[in-house]
Amino acid sequence: MKARLLHYGRLSLSSFLLFIVVVTVLFFLLELAPGDPVQALVGDVPLTDEFRDRIMAAYGLDKPVWERYLIYLGNVLRGDLGYSFATNAEPVLDIILSRAGNTLAIAVPSFLLSTLGGLVLGTIAARTRRRWLDGGISGFAVGLFSIPNFWFGMLLIMVFSINLGWLPTHGKSPYGQPGIHWEYMVLPIITMATTELAYKARIARSAVIESLGQDFIDTARSKGLPARRVLWRHALPNGLLPMVTVSGYSLGFILAGSVLVERVFGWPGMGLLFVDAIERKNNMLVLGITIVLTVTIIVVNIVTDVIYGIVDPRLRAGFAPKKEVTT
Amino acid sequence: MTRQQAPQETLPAGASSPDPRPAPPPASRRPRGGQSAAWRAFLRRTPTRVFLPLLIMFVLVAAIGPFFVADPVATANPKLLPPSAEHPFGTDMLGRDYLARVVHGGQISLLVGFSVAVLCMTFGLIVGGLAGYYGGWIDTAMVKVAEFFQVLPGLVLALVAAALLGSNVLIITAILAITMWPGVGRIVRAEAMRISRLGYVESQKAAGFHGIRILVSDVIPNAMPPVLVATTMTVGRAILIESGLAYIGVGDPGNPSWGSLLNDAQSHMRDSWWLAFLPGACIFLVVLAVNMLGDALNDAFNPTIGRVK
Repeated sequence: MKARLLHYGRLSLSSFLLFIVVVTVLFFLLELAPGDPVQALVGDVPLTDEFRDRIMAAYGLDKPVWERYLIYLGNVLRGDLGYSFATNAEPVLDIILSRAGNTLAIAVPSFLLSTLGGLVLGTIAARTRRRWLDGGISGFAVGLFSIPNFWFGMLLIMVFSINLGWLPTHGKSPYGQPGIHWEYMVLPIITMATTELAYKARIARSAVIESLGQDFIDTARSKGLPARRVLWRHALPNGLLPMVTVSGYSLGFILAGSVLVERVFGWPGMGLLFVDAIERKNNMLVLGITIVLTVTIIVVNIVTDVIYGIVDPRLRAGFAPKKEVTT
Repeated sequence: MTRQQAPQETLPAGASSPDPRPAPPPASRRPRGGQSAAWRAFLRRTPTRVFLPLLIMFVLVAAIGPFFVADPVATANPKLLPPSAEHPFGTDMLGRDYLARVVHGGQISLLVGFSVAVLCMTFGLIVGGLAGYYGGWIDTAMVKVAEFFQVLPGLVLALVAAALLGSNVLIITAILAITMWPGVGRIVRAEAMRISRLGYVESQKAAGFHGIRILVSDVIPNAMPPVLVATTMTVGRAILIESGLAYIGVGDPGNPSWGSLLNDAQSHMRDSWWLAFLPGACIFLVVLAVNMLGDALNDAFNPTIGRVK
């Protein structure tokens, strides 16, 4: 138990350091960005020197780099991500939070779909005696994660929305109506889930195969347990451990992928906001979204680690150190 | 999106170098046998026979195709023509020959993909090799950097960096290499750690050879098979990420890649299917070929992994 607490303490500390590093990298990327920050603030109008100085002073741009860095870091730590000047000086965090729900509405179902689907397909592939089925599932998985995700979404739109007319092409609800309508969610969720499903199927397959090759499986078999029970009660729970880690990472990748998927379907979430912010050179918003994504991913990783500790009986008892899972 | 490597199954201890360089000094006693056999096994596999020619074809078309197709920026043709004998890929919204656009786009996509992979392999071999062989601070530093890039999706980092620093082919290639090299580096590191404990390396150390020399002449050549697998997969991932960036509009405006073509095609999905279909199909086929070859390479050098029971 003590070892476990120490582990979480170190994990929190290193997560916090990672967060600081990310904010630092982002700040200096912004510093390196070409272009005049004052001009970017006021827009494309001619500037007098006096006005420029006033703006510089008003936004603290006249201070040395390290001082501005510390101020920015302090603001971020207090949850202040700055203001979006392109849109009436709204706080960046408010804009982001107003869009986060829409992204989660498709990201969470994609996550569940890809995890369950990947687990089932991977287990079937690992267990089947029909080599063509295993080969088929494995080949299918490689095929799925070789597809550019956003192009797959475009194909779905062309087939199911334009040719067959079954589902809408764009947005989250009919024009002018509030809320999210389910027909609009179907294709984005499928698109988001495919790559991760393929990846998880591969991991699940090799995890179950490896798990089936271990001594405790031979023991279970030699006790005369039925094959089905050996698979579901003995092999699968052990095979699940790498799946926990992979699923944790995959939520991050799904959120990152939302940038592409939301662009394809015009889905008004954080990803589309990100693309718009990049197009309009709204740098504070770009940094803000990146920071929010980073925090989410870091928190998900900590939660994953906690779940891993609960699921793995060896860790529950405080034995062997966590097995390194490569993804 | 940035990750999709083969599950990293490390090689059995006997796997040996595919490196065709001259015979090693007698002192090294490198385990041999199996290296050319593994390459022959690789070439005999069905996926190799299908996808190696496909990949070579794409590379050839990208290399010499631009000399044979029409001018990709000439707008002389009718707009949005469907594929026909005269324009096998049709024309785009400005009346440009789409075959020419796709061939030129492929040049950019493949160039970025292969350059990123070569850079990743180079960084990965140098840093991963030193980290795995010597350990110490360089090892700690490398593990930290790799963790950083493992937690943060490369797509997001590349997007932010390209959006802030400007997007041309060189910057995008550099950013992708920086975000992706730890994937290769981690594998080199693990291999270097394993190999540096083997008898023939220990005997070289005992004989007083310099560490760098052992690293270059023994450790790295023997670490090559899994490194090549990871590098191959990197080509595919780099092409996917680059096309994603270009699709969002963070591509090189002067050098449109397949992703840029898809960006333009977005608003013509309803009337002109070929604009969205063809560049995406090219990306898919190239990435599929690369991933299949990576898998085949892995299987050929690693015959024990696969089905245990």
